[in-house]
Amino acid sequence: MKTIDNSEDQDLQDFFSEMKAKDSAIEAPQFPKIRKFKSWSLIPIGIAASLILMAWFYTRDKPIQTLDHDLIIITLEEGQNNELQFKIESTTELESWDSPTSSLLTDF
Amino acid sequence: MKKRQLENLLKEFHQEAYHWSRQCCSFDEDLAKDVLQQVYLKILEGKAIYKEKSQIKTWLFSVIRFTALEWKKKVKNTYSLEAEFDVAETEQEIDTASHEELIEKLTERQREVLLLVFYHNLTLEKAAEIMEISIGSVRTHYDRGKRNLKALILKKTLHENNR
Repeated sequence: MKTIDNSEDQDLQDFFSEMKAKDSAIEAPQFPKIRKFKSWSLIPIGIAASLILMAWFYTRDKPIQTLDHDLIIITLEEGQNNELQFKIESTTELESWDSPTSSLLTDF
Repeated sequence: MKKRQLENLLKEFHQEAYHWSRQCCSFDEDLAKDVLQQVYLKILEGKAIYKEKSQIKTWLFSVIRFTALEWKKKVKNTYSLEAEFDVAETEQEIDTASHEELIEKLTERQREVLLLVFYHNLTLEKAAEIMEISIGSVRTHYDRGKRNLKALILKKTLHENNR
């Protein structure tokens, strides 16, 4: 339903026609280009990433593991002035061990 | 509606949509461009969905108006002094006022309804749909807007003739 009364609103129609004419000189921005997302385009990227990961996994240097510090023996020894001292030793194996004190061998 | 079809329709209404966006942004071109960009983004991301209940133009104009209002709310705290206080309108202002400046002297609702009806050739029903108000309210704003704009045009014409 149009409500523009031609005779009554002629001045308004003229006003808006002039406004439209002025606006026609204004350039609208370009309609944005819509990028279409194609999921299949990610497949080669995925394959390449997997190959790089695999290559890195198989070619990386394995860390050198030493057995020097596998076992730590802490002993408490009596020094020259009867003071107690901690003695820390490290070894790769524990074949024999003697208690430095007799306390552990004593039956109570 | 298929995305491709919607895109073609948006392209068809692009020019008109830009002008409406400018009008909703108080004729600020940069803001109008940002608002329109935001509108297209909303549509393509599926945040604004066309349900084919109304004409595409009505729906698009409604989304533009809503987005412009959102932006206005964001910059609400940065009022200019002129916007904050009623500046007395001088005779010279009316004399040299452009079409846009005259339109800006109307209230927001009056401006919107007149632009939708006279500039964009929409009916009052469509204007009510876009403005999200009842047809009765639209008629009221339409009548008052016409009366006020006619008075402003007359004032301007009289000043021009007296020069």
